Amino acid sequence: MNVLESVAALPAELLAEPLAILRASWRRLRAWRRIRFTVGGAVFTAGAFATGFAAVNTGNNLLYLLLGAMLGFIALSGWLSEQALRGLEVRRRTPQGVTVGKTFRISYHVTSRKRRIPTLAVHLLESGLPGAAFIARLDPGESVTVRSENHFIRRGIYPLETLTLSTAFPFGLFTKKRDIPLTGELVIWPRADRSVALPTPPGGRNMPRYSDANGATLGARGEFRGLREYRAGDDPRDVHWRSTARTGQPMVREYDQDSAETLWICLDTRDEPGDHAEGAVETAASLAARAYHDGRRFALVTPSGQVDSGMGSAQLERLLDVLARVDFQQSGPRLSPPADPARCVLVSMSGSGRSSYGAYVPAGRWADDSTSEDAVGQESLAG
Amino acid sequence: MSLELLHRRMVVGMSLVALMAFAGGAGFEPLSTILAGTALCLAFFWQPDHDLSLRLEQFWLLSAAILVIRSLYHVFLVGDDVVIPVVDVLLLLLSAEALRSLEAPNDARLYSLTFALLLASTAYRPGILFALAFVSYVALATVALTVGHLQRITPAGREIALDRSFLFAMAGLSGVALLMSGIVFVAFPRFSQGWASRGEVLATSIAGFADEVSIGNHGSRIFPNPEIVFRVEFPDGQPSNMGGLHWRGRSYDRFDGVRWSRSPALPPSLGMDRWYAAWQPDRIRQKIYAAPLDVRVLFALHPLLEVQSDNPRVQPLLDNSGDHIYWGPGSPSYEAVSVDGRPDSEALRAATSGFAPARNHFTQLPRLSQQAVDLARSLTQGLDNNYDRAVAIESFFHSEFGYTLDLPRSAREATLEHFLFDRREGHCEYFSTAMVVLLRTLGVHAREVNGFLGGQWNEFGQYLAVTQNEAHSWVEVWFPGYGWVAFDPTPAGAGTSEAITSWLWPGRFLLDGLQHQWNKWILDYDQESQSGLIRRASEIFSRDQFTSQDSKPIARDPAVIFWGALMILALGLSLYWSNKRPSGGPETRLYLRLRESCCRSGLVPGEGVTPLTLVNELARRGHPAHRPAQRLVRMYLRSRFGGHALDDTDQEEMKTALSAVQRALRSEGRPSASSTPS
Repeated sequence: MNVLESVAALPAELLAEPLAILRASWRRLRAWRRIRFTVGGAVFTAGAFATGFAAVNTGNNLLYLLLGAMLGFIALSGWLSEQALRGLEVRRRTPQGVTVGKTFRISYHVTSRKRRIPTLAVHLLESGLPGAAFIARLDPGESVTVRSENHFIRRGIYPLETLTLSTAFPFGLFTKKRDIPLTGELVIWPRADRSVALPTPPGGRNMPRYSDANGATLGARGEFRGLREYRAGDDPRDVHWRSTARTGQPMVREYDQDSAETLWICLDTRDEPGDHAEGAVETAASLAARAYHDGRRFALVTPSGQVDSGMGSAQLERLLDVLARVDFQQSGPRLSPPADPARCVLVSMSGSGRSSYGAYVPAGRWADDSTSEDAVGQESLAG
Repeated sequence: MSLELLHRRMVVGMSLVALMAFAGGAGFEPLSTILAGTALCLAFFWQPDHDLSLRLEQFWLLSAAILVIRSLYHVFLVGDDVVIPVVDVLLLLLSAEALRSLEAPNDARLYSLTFALLLASTAYRPGILFALAFVSYVALATVALTVGHLQRITPAGREIALDRSFLFAMAGLSGVALLMSGIVFVAFPRFSQGWASRGEVLATSIAGFADEVSIGNHGSRIFPNPEIVFRVEFPDGQPSNMGGLHWRGRSYDRFDGVRWSRSPALPPSLGMDRWYAAWQPDRIRQKIYAAPLDVRVLFALHPLLEVQSDNPRVQPLLDNSGDHIYWGPGSPSYEAVSVDGRPDSEALRAATSGFAPARNHFTQLPRLSQQAVDLARSLTQGLDNNYDRAVAIESFFHSEFGYTLDLPRSAREATLEHFLFDRREGHCEYFSTAMVVLLRTLGVHAREVNGFLGGQWNEFGQYLAVTQNEAHSWVEVWFPGYGWVAFDPTPAGAGTSEAITSWLWPGRFLLDGLQHQWNKWILDYDQESQSGLIRRASEIFSRDQFTSQDSKPIARDPAVIFWGALMILALGLSLYWSNKRPSGGPETRLYLRLRESCCRSGLVPGEGVTPLTLVNELARRGHPAHRPAQRLVRMYLRSRFGGHALDDTDQEEMKTALSAVQRALRSEGRPSASSTPS
């Protein structure tokens, strides 16, 4: 960097810290309270100005009285709205998983720490979400649980940073907002209700058939493989109590057949993000949901992570959590399933490498889609 | 009551008080006020449904069209006042909006119309009724705006429970708006030169100050009239002899035997200011607040040295006879400085030569009988100066004549000769006329003066109220080097008892005092008043106020004591009430009310009663209140100790149960001795 550039950079360096302080102060100030006129408030304030103007011009003393009363209403509005927003303790409870397109509720348990003044007509809004919870009335020292309803149209992780308390109490002249930092996140799962059909694999190879037996019978599940930590959804009869007592954590027995009968869903994410990518994710999710409903074991493999074989609702939730976080990249890593690819179902947009997999499900094509060519005459997983 | 109905009633209340404010200021317009008042009262109790509301709109539209045409006719063709017809349209619109269905989203229109009506009332000079209306309006508006907002913001299917204590608390918070109103009113700088309200057209008519005044009235009697003409404050302290204060109005120089008049071409006849200033060193300051009168006379004590109008639109003028009049709109309020006292008797006796008013205007005589001339000479025989002559004639009337308000029965009896020689009693005009005539027969310059005598001291307002009862006539006699000196031949003390009783009732003093304070501190509050307040405030907080021997200590000021005691009482009451009020949730309060009701009925002892004991006792007695009490207690215990949150439905159910218990207790009465178990 030459001298000129150094000199030019000086002011920026000198100003960096004060600017940062200013920005932080502004954020803090903005978070303290935000006030905005409502339409009625704007008209009321304009009317107060007009009354004052008329009073000054005419010297009519009674107009000063009216002006003072109007200003008093504005002051009272500011004070009461502040009292309405103060002294509120909020605890948020989010649903564990939210599915795209489905309405979900966020619960807020609100406690008033005030002694005398009730809280009326306060909205609770999450930043970026349109639906708000509404507290009609909360007396001093009381608690209430209120809910907001929203829905998402895209899967992913939605960070919750601030909760905004908003009120126009008492007169509806101004809306006052107060931000409460309340971090959290919402995991938006992809849809898992698509009707997917598992096609006949190339080369006539068949996917492992599944009997109705749930595979929980001891001995019918093959050789004992080892012990692992208990996961939600595991059969309680598989718990190995001695290891559990020794380690202090629930441990379960694992058998060969458990993994052999697992439906391995391999999602290829090497493509551009978009509707097709979402279709792939929904396909994978729907396959897992079908396996869950059928009482099968299933697992997921993506280039960025995997969900080991398991069954039950907890397994499905784990899988959906991973699918919620999956990102698509053209030049992403390849799939490397831990199981034999011949036993895996490939879900992909491009279909590259499909020949080495036991089955291939094109992304975004579902059995209920009449336009899908592959939907006709395909064998379903249900057998 | 639903929020919609509560809101509508509050807004109708606002409309009614705004109507009261307008009627109190602009005057009572019977038809439109009664119609609007009736419609608003109806709207308080009844609201049409949606269909009827739509049908009524046709009627309102037609009525509004008629009123608008009428307004345009009055304004452009008749040239009448524009405000009244416009307010008629406003009242119609207000009635129409108030009588809409509850579902109609007309909140903003209702607020605007009530505010517009209140605004219109400020264009007039409203009395103290405006203060009451204004306070009520602010209190109602606080509640109405709150309820309206809650009603609009609450999602469909939800209800916000508003109890009475909340509504009263909101009404109480309107004190903040009123306090701000007072602060802005007092502190906001006054730039404008003042405001001439539309109320000036309602001028008070007073008799005896026109260009011609007749003494020949006859008939029954002069009736008392307590209407106030002006109010006088004495900044330098209350004078000792208020009953003897002569408030000079107009003088008359020409008498034709029946009526007094003023010569059209009267030369300047007042005299030099320095003559009057030399009478006595003492001055008496008067702050006079006059009602609008149909005669533009500035009343003050004679001799008046200075007069300064508080209202810049009112210009004091002096006419050739030395009468103070004014020109301009508005109620005259002015400060006058007069000489306190009259010249020394010896000095007046010595005033025998010097400047006299020109052209014998003040020695003019009507056709007079010789008897009257002889009477004048006989009364003043041997007296060599005008002062003694005037005193002699004055004393003659004081001692030989009587005062009566009864008028002569016929025109023949109304003559001056009949008064002097036959009747020998009459009212003040006869006395003053007779004295002037007698003096003029002796060549003394004298004239008749009409004004007011004394007044009624209003202790509450600390001012002298001069009413039409105090109308009076007296005489002014010219003394060279001293000007016009007043003499009063009317016997002393006459008429005062009737004047006092004509005030009708003591409360009128209080009301009039309030009205005067309202006029002075609110309607006529100006830059000077503001500076005076600031000066007084700085004096209060300065050290000199506490050390000065002359000034009254703050702690002994009655106003300070009164307001201080009121504040302490209010604080004590609020503390007592907040301590008395039981803590706890609504279920606890409702249970405690149940227990209190049962204790008052004598069913259970006051203390140490558990909820189940109370219910068991009622059940044991077979009291009809047992079942609702049981319901209430069960819900109370479940909520208080069982962790079951009390929602709005539960609260309503508890209240219903409590009401049922109270009804049953009232109907059964106190338990008799025989019902006590052995």
